[in-house]
Amino acid sequence: MSVEVAREAAWPRVRPRRRVPGWLWATPVYAFLLLFVVYPLIRLLAEAVTDEAGRLSLTYLAQFAGDPFYRKALVNSLWVAGGTVLGCLALGLPAAFLLVRYDFPGRELWSYLTVLPIVMPPLVGIMGLVFVLGRAGTVNVLLMDYLGLARPVNFLYGWHGVLLAMVLHYFPLVTLNVVDALTKVDASLEEAAEAMGSRGLRRVRDITLPLLTPGLVSGATLVFILSFADFATPLVVGMQDLLAAQAYLNIVQFVDRRLFRMGLVVGALMSLLAIGFLLVARRAVAMREYAVVSYRAVERRPLRGAWRLIAPALFATALGLAFLPHLGLLLAAFGKAWSLTPLPTRFTLEHFDQVLHLTPTYVVNSLRWGAVAVALILVLGVSIGWMLARTSLPGRELVDSVVTLVLALPGTAVGIAYLRAFHAPLAGITLTRSWFVMPLVLAVRRMPYTVRATFASLLTVHPAMEEAAASVGASSLRTFLDVSLPLIWRGVVAGALFSLLFALQEAAATILLVLPGWETITVGIFTFYTSGTFGQAAALGVVLVTLSAAILYAIYRLTGARLGGLFGSGGG
Amino acid sequence: MRVRLEGVVKRFGATTALAGVSQEIREGELFTLLGPSGCGKTTTLRILAGFVDPDEGEVYFDDVPVRGVPPAERGVGIVFQNYALWPHMTVFDNVAYGLRLRRMPTAEVRRRVEQVLEQVGLLGLEDRTPGQLSGGQQQRVAVARALVLNPRLLLLDEPLSSLDAKVRARLRSEIRRLQQELRITTVYVTHDQEEAMVISDRIAVMRDGRVAQVGTPVELYERPADLFVADFVGTNNLLPGTVTGLRDGWAELATPAGVVRGRAARPLQSGGRAVLAVRPEALRISDGTPADVGVPGRVALSQYLGSLVRYEVEVEGGRVLLVDVHNPKGQIVLRPGQRTTVSFDPEAALVFPEEAP
Repeated sequence: MSVEVAREAAWPRVRPRRRVPGWLWATPVYAFLLLFVVYPLIRLLAEAVTDEAGRLSLTYLAQFAGDPFYRKALVNSLWVAGGTVLGCLALGLPAAFLLVRYDFPGRELWSYLTVLPIVMPPLVGIMGLVFVLGRAGTVNVLLMDYLGLARPVNFLYGWHGVLLAMVLHYFPLVTLNVVDALTKVDASLEEAAEAMGSRGLRRVRDITLPLLTPGLVSGATLVFILSFADFATPLVVGMQDLLAAQAYLNIVQFVDRRLFRMGLVVGALMSLLAIGFLLVARRAVAMREYAVVSYRAVERRPLRGAWRLIAPALFATALGLAFLPHLGLLLAAFGKAWSLTPLPTRFTLEHFDQVLHLTPTYVVNSLRWGAVAVALILVLGVSIGWMLARTSLPGRELVDSVVTLVLALPGTAVGIAYLRAFHAPLAGITLTRSWFVMPLVLAVRRMPYTVRATFASLLTVHPAMEEAAASVGASSLRTFLDVSLPLIWRGVVAGALFSLLFALQEAAATILLVLPGWETITVGIFTFYTSGTFGQAAALGVVLVTLSAAILYAIYRLTGARLGGLFGSGGG
Repeated sequence: MRVRLEGVVKRFGATTALAGVSQEIREGELFTLLGPSGCGKTTTLRILAGFVDPDEGEVYFDDVPVRGVPPAERGVGIVFQNYALWPHMTVFDNVAYGLRLRRMPTAEVRRRVEQVLEQVGLLGLEDRTPGQLSGGQQQRVAVARALVLNPRLLLLDEPLSSLDAKVRARLRSEIRRLQQELRITTVYVTHDQEEAMVISDRIAVMRDGRVAQVGTPVELYERPADLFVADFVGTNNLLPGTVTGLRDGWAELATPAGVVRGRAARPLQSGGRAVLAVRPEALRISDGTPADVGVPGRVALSQYLGSLVRYEVEVEGGRVLLVDVHNPKGQIVLRPGQRTTVSFDPEAALVFPEEAP
């Protein structure tokens, strides 16, 4: 091998390329966010402080504040949301600690199963629970028939039922966030504390919990905002005196204009409250951002003695409860004319024949809107994620805030905002009368998951890898295609699948915006159930859960089960 | 290729990374930018690479200004600090990537990749992915990837900083050998002065966005231009004091440890504050009884390292002087606590004006 050979070929030239200026592709992104997030939100807030003639007026706000019913609804909503957070922490925090720090029989299996409740949205969950624990559900029928109880036990109707359904659905969000944070705590941090004599619970309190705060706050905020905004679940068990339920009921009735106005006011207030919660949470997290460069995981310890049985028993109980609604759902979906018996006496496929074959509209629509929404989300989400991770374009910080804001805005409020903002023709199109509004609102609401996934994946690709490609002659596009994309596609696809999963489960904005012919699975469940057609509601529920489970399985296969960071609402 | 920087200034927001750097890098030399973190050495390298353009001044490659020329058209090969190997590509694909971008025929790509892998001693590992390689092997892949396009200028950004000491020593010799074999103009960035001394033809010591001194390793070590270079390159004992006498290029300094003499390295003022710098190996130590000339002190620590004994001697005023005695050959070693006198040939000591803190 001679030096001459190595130097024979002259430096091969590449064609010079012009760079696409950043603003050229950032502008459409800015325009989209302005038009479909900022504008409807401002419009909604403005509606709360104006009267019919469009004049500035505090009449409706004053009416809200002066009405004891609304004040009670506000307090109830805060209780339900706060209670859900506490329940999720009580269940999710110990679960996370057990899964990360200890070894016990079936740990791997439990860690997979813990995430499963996510496949059942609370609307479906509470319905499933009603079939088992409701007034005429399995348990009450048994109690009355065999123990001679005169009246059914009220397991569900009221805020305790709502709490149960929500905690069972949302606690994995806390677990996942804490598991993610906990696995990133460097072992030496705890060892250093231990060397100084800080042990056991004291060390957990002084060292471990503070390190977990960002993950904990992210998970808790998300749970709070989601349960605060849910109206469909409480309505299933007849709870109407909640803010979200009032917003919905006032908007969908078209008789009383004053009530309609009050619906707008409630929607606006919910948005402001959600933004407030988010700001508080962000402040709590921002002060505690810990940079982790490299870490050594804390070694897992085997549980000893009775704990070896208690830990799996805890998981079995929690997950057993979480699977109760699945059971009720299956029974109702396959049961024929089920009433007044503990279990259905005959089984049938006719409910599935109805929802899958005779009127497949719900499923077809859900898939159609979902597909269009995901296409939109991929274009927007990847662009925004890239922008946040790799550029210093002006307005970048604002975009980041808007994306986080979208995560916090209650679906009910978004639905109402869209109704008000887009009921007038815009450039010749009345958006609320076009089917496009369905995938559009889904795309807007679920985009943050993909943005986050793209951003997080890009952070793992060192900029030098891209510079290295540029230095040997790759254009920006080539660099993205050859270097960045192969390294991030799994994360991006996982993010998009999460967006799809939650788009299919959306049961707030779409229920408000739906027009005949556009009904989705969740709209179908809600209308079937509230009109007493339980079998078909349950069959649609089974379809939704099956779809969700399939998507979740695909995410697992793609990511190797590292899901934590996707659910955070703070930081990033 | 020759490289010339002229009055290069670079600011990032309020901080000035480079405050006017003018420097010529000669054809075929290995030129090192040495300095503590934040001194501007990496910024200089990134300007040469074309990742950033200077705010003021200009860079010339063979007298052609290169402002605005993107990295790939400058004919530079870059080895990044963390290697920046693409983890989803094999060793072969990593090295071949730039060639394939230029639509080179497959057979030619294979020939050139194998040739450069042979040069760095990695032939046979083409099908591994970076994750399957040791740190040293990854570094060689990074070097191969930088060399495969036959660059006119090779840029290395702290290429050895994340390797352990033994691998580092071996790889720096290999990089030096390869560079001399290919006679490729090379700019090497490091904060490790020993690495810089071993590998470089010339070194620019940088500080606060400026070049403090340029010279061969010998020049920097023997004739540092200022106190910063004297302190940063190699080890120096520093004794601050007041100038009491100046004559024929010699300076006499009154220090808390006693009166010392050395060569004035820079213009000094009688009565002004100054610092005497003398290297550990230039110091001599008396055994036991105080001598007539020199600085009295007390042995605080002695370290036997086989080829040398290093003493830490505490002198009057609290300063600690390092004294290296080479080839002790089991000669009696002074114990901690023993009184002694440290002396040196004034020829080997340099006196600098004290810098404003």
